[in-house]
Parts: sequence; structure tokens; C-alpha cells
Amino acid sequence: MKGTLLVIALVISLFAGTLYAHHSFTATYDTSKTVMIEGKVTQFLLRNPHSFLHIAVIGKDGKEETWNVEWAAAGQLGGSGVTRDSLKVGDPVVINGNPARDPADQRLRMVSVKRTSDGFNWGLRPGQTFD
Amino acid sequence: MKKIALMFVALLAAGSAIVAQIPSTGFGPGQAPALGPLVNGTDFSGTWRPNQLVVDSQTAAGDLADFGGIPFNDAARLYALAWPASRQTVKQHQCMGYVTPYFWYAPGNYRIWEERDSFTQRLTAWRFFGQIAQGDRTVYMDGRPHPPAYAPHTFAGFSTGEYQGNVLTVTTTHLKRGWIKANGVPQSDAATVREHYIRHGDVITVLAVIDDPVYLSEPLSKASMLVRQAKDPDAWLYACDDSEQIQGRKNDVVPNHLFGQNPYVREYADRRKVPLVAALGGADTMYPELANKVGDAATSEAVVKTRMTPSGPALASRAPDPTPNDGQIHTLHVAGNVYMLTGDGANIAVQVGPQGAFVVDAGAGKLSEKIIEAIGKLSAKPIQFMVNTSFHPDHTGGNSKLQAAGADPSLSGSFFSLQFADAGKGATIIGHLNTQVRMQDHKLLAPPSDTFLEDRRRKYHNGEPVEMFPQQAVTDGDTIVHFRRSDVIVAGDIFTTTQYPFIDVKNGGSLQGEIQSLNFILDRTVYLHDEDGGTMIIPGHGRVTDEWEVAEYRDMLVIIRDRVQSMIRSGATLQQVLAARPTADYDPRYGATSGAWTTDMFVEAVYTSLKNPPKIETAR
Repeated sequence: MKGTLLVIALVISLFAGTLYAHHSFTATYDTSKTVMIEGKVTQFLLRNPHSFLHIAVIGKDGKEETWNVEWAAAGQLGGSGVTRDSLKVGDPVVINGNPARDPADQRLRMVSVKRTSDGFNWGLRPGQTFD
Repeated sequence: MKKIALMFVALLAAGSAIVAQIPSTGFGPGQAPALGPLVNGTDFSGTWRPNQLVVDSQTAAGDLADFGGIPFNDAARLYALAWPASRQTVKQHQCMGYVTPYFWYAPGNYRIWEERDSFTQRLTAWRFFGQIAQGDRTVYMDGRPHPPAYAPHTFAGFSTGEYQGNVLTVTTTHLKRGWIKANGVPQSDAATVREHYIRHGDVITVLAVIDDPVYLSEPLSKASMLVRQAKDPDAWLYACDDSEQIQGRKNDVVPNHLFGQNPYVREYADRRKVPLVAALGGADTMYPELANKVGDAATSEAVVKTRMTPSGPALASRAPDPTPNDGQIHTLHVAGNVYMLTGDGANIAVQVGPQGAFVVDAGAGKLSEKIIEAIGKLSAKPIQFMVNTSFHPDHTGGNSKLQAAGADPSLSGSFFSLQFADAGKGATIIGHLNTQVRMQDHKLLAPPSDTFLEDRRRKYHNGEPVEMFPQQAVTDGDTIVHFRRSDVIVAGDIFTTTQYPFIDVKNGGSLQGEIQSLNFILDRTVYLHDEDGGTMIIPGHGRVTDEWEVAEYRDMLVIIRDRVQSMIRSGATLQQVLAARPTADYDPRYGATSGAWTTDMFVEAVYTSLKNPPKIETAR
């Protein structure tokens, strides 16, 4: 896999609004930054209260590492056309997300995902957000 | 009479699947609810949502290190500062329920309805349901008492209510450890919450007052508002499933900040232009005199410094001991065929059914006759099997008397009776080989005769599989017992709700083994709903729990391990570690400054374990 880990620290807002989730995203993630990763899907957990995508990414040292991407609840994703069959193991994807405050978690809050093989995407159109 | 008693036991067993899944009602077996008082008051029925202004101004979660106005003590502040949001990725934290009054701050829908006796039309209970985390509360209005202190706690707790004029006042006990704010500010399991419900038209105001002897230095008042919804929103469920959020992380990792090393401690204060001493909370942040402490930057910084690391003398637990020490043996139905007996040293588990009773641990031996009498009320047959979870005398002191009161009919008439004249005359005692050896070494009476060392011991008894797992945790001869159909795990002193674990280093115990054994328990538990119910746990001492409290205990030990390990790496001596008070945030809950097992003795055991680690695998 030729995936690369690109960390693009984009300061979107220093003062992200309070979110009304069952836990605070601003406490968990640095919502002032966005990180881009490119890799392959290893697991898609369509769950409540939040779904997770696990992505195999080749790090700067050439070793494969697993990134954990928190996504919307199954119901919210269903409302925007994402089903349990939308992403499959091995799918090549590019993901933008807010990085976890603890870098050891290798965790992102999903902002957008695009499958590079056919252009399937989420998060690029208005309203495709979650809390 | 015996037939009736047996029928009752059989009925209990048949209904066990249901009984195990509902909250405690405050009534014992066979006790019917009272008719209850005639009560009249405001009708709160309907569907409601939180007032958006309140949600906007006072979110449930809060920002990191945003603790101003909360009258918590130093221990609670340290607890909150050690908490990173990454803790929520740990499996047992992903679907944590909501305690009240946090319950009323969720952004979902609420339904309130009344339950009335169909014959008398008297109000028996108010029911509150919150969509987020599917909180399901019952407020009994029929005058029933709260359950005993050794009964399980839940996120909903146990609530009773009464009208004071048109105000409904609800008192809730038996709560789990939850959040005051989900930015790390804890509400302990010893808290009592009084809520006052006042309705004006389509608005309900809920004023809650939290009394928490463990983490609050003064009562905390919180208000929330609900607005009536004209139409049922038809959105009520919030199913939560935990998942592998962080792959590749070992099960003895619990994210935490070391004391004084929370990198985000100033973030909220700086952003909101709030003096840090005010953001760090405490009773003085509720009063105008705080201004005297923030007037001078140097003074303010000095105060802040003392608040970010342990200071002051060590504290003893402020949580009430749930064990009744009244010279009586108390019986509590746990689930399925399994009961807990408490009152004589360590807790005792009793499994009953068509065969003789299967008893785990025997108490200290001071009230053995009363224990035998209590077991006789649960089973008409003699005790057949006994298991010791450790060799310690508070678990084995009653061995000889309970054994003598029992019989093992599986041995009578077998080839054993040809070899031993007393075969079957007395219960068979099962235990870890090292328990047998330690008891013999310490000249304790009636050690186990049926032993195991490395592999699980198993029996199918009283209609269910019973597994006994050898452990090396608080000693090198511990045993965990799992009644699989009843789904009750007897943890012995590997898990208690009353003190830090009694890690007996001289007899093979270690902190690492203790953490491993707690994770072993957690690998076998399944909750019913959002970290409530399901597999039930009988601790060595204290109240019955489920997996949530075991996970909290595991977390605490991992966090304390990390602190002590960090100091050892820096070359700290035992005295330096003790002086640093690495348990400061947990002392008001588990600490002891006197008695048989003090906080200092526990910290020394941690230090010794880490300096001389056991030669066992301690994480997967």
C-alpha cells in the first residue's frame, strides 16, 4: 500500500462551539485542527452512540499503524445514506478529521471521508456533520 | 412447612432470570408492598425536553478544567485533573449511564408518567425516562424503605418521593459513581440526591441538592428546566454498544494524567479570561471572598499550585461501611440461585437448588451458628461443597463449623468410604493448593482437601455450571468462582468495595496480579444495559455490584500504579512515594489511617510489587 500519513494542522477555529453530545468532543479532540490520513479500511463498526472506522495507514517510519476514526451514530449515518455496506474491508480511503488530544490514541473525529476508487464520500456536502 | 419453603426456593429459581434484571425494589423475598399513603399533588405526566437556555449555559459535559462553583474537595479536584477524555475509550466507560441530577442535563427527550395500583388507584410510583443513555428511573410513592446498604447500586439509584404541598421531593440513594460534570468531576456512590420538582404550566423546574460525603465539602445545588412537548417526539431509544475503539492497546492501560501534569489545566481559564484559581473549583469558588485570593497574581498562583497536587494530611474513607456489624447475619438475593450472606467477616455466597448448598467462603467464624441457620432457611439440604477464595481467616474462620454442618453424599457409598471412615460426613472443601498450604502453615482449621493449582476446577451443581479459577492476586492462592447460569461471580478479596485491596505481598500477592485478576473478571462479565446489571459480583467485603464497580476499581489501581511507577523511575524511595500521596484522589473513598490495612500499607505493597515484579503475564 502506498498510503501516506499527512498531518495538516489547519487552524479552523480556536473557539469551537459547545457540542451537545453525550460526551464533550472538545474535551476529546482538538477541534481547532484537522488531520488527513490515507489508508485502507480494516473494520467498519456501525454502532450507537457513535460508529468507528479503523484504518490501516503506513506511517512515516514505513510501518503499518491503525487509526481509529469516530463517526456518527448509525441512525444519523443512515439518514445521510451511509449503510453497513457502504464501506468494506480493504477500501482505499482519504479521511479528514480532528485529532485526539492524546496522540497515543491515534484517533480522529470524522470530518470527511472519500473512497478513492470510486469517489464515494461523506462530509463534503452541507449537513453531513454529527454530534 | 419444609415443602412450602422448598417450593418458594424453586419459584425463586424459576423467576431468577427476571429477578436478576430488575432494580431492587427495597422489599425482601415474600414481602408485599404496603398499600401506601393517599397522595395528591401536581401531575408531571407528559413528554418533555430540556430548556435550551439551560443546556446552552450549563452543558452536562463541560470544558476541561472548568470546575468553578463546584464545592468539591481536594480529592475530587485531583480526580478530575487526572481524567483525560481518552478514558472514555476504555470499554467499560463507553456506555456509562447517567446518575441524577446529571440525568436531567442530557439533550434528548424525557417522558414522565405515573403508575397507579389498578385496584385502589393510589399513586404507587412516578416513572422518569430519559432518551440519552435510556435512563429509567422509578420513584416509589408507596412508603417503602430504601434497600440495605449492601444491596447493588445503579445509575438510576433507588428513589422514594413525597409531596410537600405541590412540590414533589425525591430522595435517591444507591447511586453508582457518576458525573457531576463529565469533564472528570465525580459524584461518588455514597451520594444522596434530593430533588424538588416544581411545575408552572408547561415548565418543570428541578432543583437538585447533592450531598456527597466523599467528594463534596458542601452540598451542591443544581437546577434544570424541562419544557413540555405538545406532541410525542417518537424518538426514545439510544442503544449503546461498546466496541474496539483503540486497537492494539493492552487491557492494563487506563489513560490518565499524572498529578500536576494535566496539559490542559489552563485552557478553559485562559480562553474565558477566568482566574485559574476560580476555574479549579472548590467551595470557596461559590463565594465572593474568593476575590481576595485572586487579587494578587503571586498569591493566586501559590493557591493554584497547592490545588494541582496532593497537599494536607492523608484522609480516611468517608463512605459508610455497607456491612452490618450488628451481630446478625443478613441475607440478600443476588441473582438466580445465588444469595449473599454478610455480617461475619468476609461475604459468603450460597448457591441453592435440588442438591446440597454450594457455599463460597465461610466467614470469620464468630457467627457460624447463625450462618448455618441462615443457609438452612435457603436450603433444606446440608451444605455439600465449600470453596475458599483465599486462606485469610476472615474467609476461612468458619470452615470447620460449616463443614461439620454439611455432608457430601457424592462420597458416601463410593470407594472413598472404603478408604476414609468419615467420607461424606461433612461438606467437601475445595480450594487453591496454595490456600491449603498456607492454612496448614498458619495452623488454621479445616483447610481445603480438594485442591487445584493451575487449571480451572469445575462442577455442574444445583442445575448450573460452577467454575473455580485459580488466581495470583492478593495472595498466590486466590480463587474466583463463577456461577454461570445465575451469572454471579464471587471475587473474594480480589475486589472489595470498602478498602484498597489487601495485597498480601508476603504470601505471594502483587499489584500486577491483582490488576490481571480484575481484568479476568471483566473478561467474563456482560452488562444488561449501559453498565448496569447483567453479571453480578459478590465482593470479598462490601456491597454487591456489577462490572462497573470492578472496572472502576481496576482503573484506580492502574492509575495508582502509573504514579508510583513514574516515581520509582525517577529514583524515589518508599518514604518519598508515601509522602507524595499517590492515592490522594481515592482516599476519601477507600483510604484508612488506622486499622489492619491502612493506605500506607497498601502503597508499600504497590511499591514492593513494582520494585520486585511477579514472574507472571499480567496483561494481554
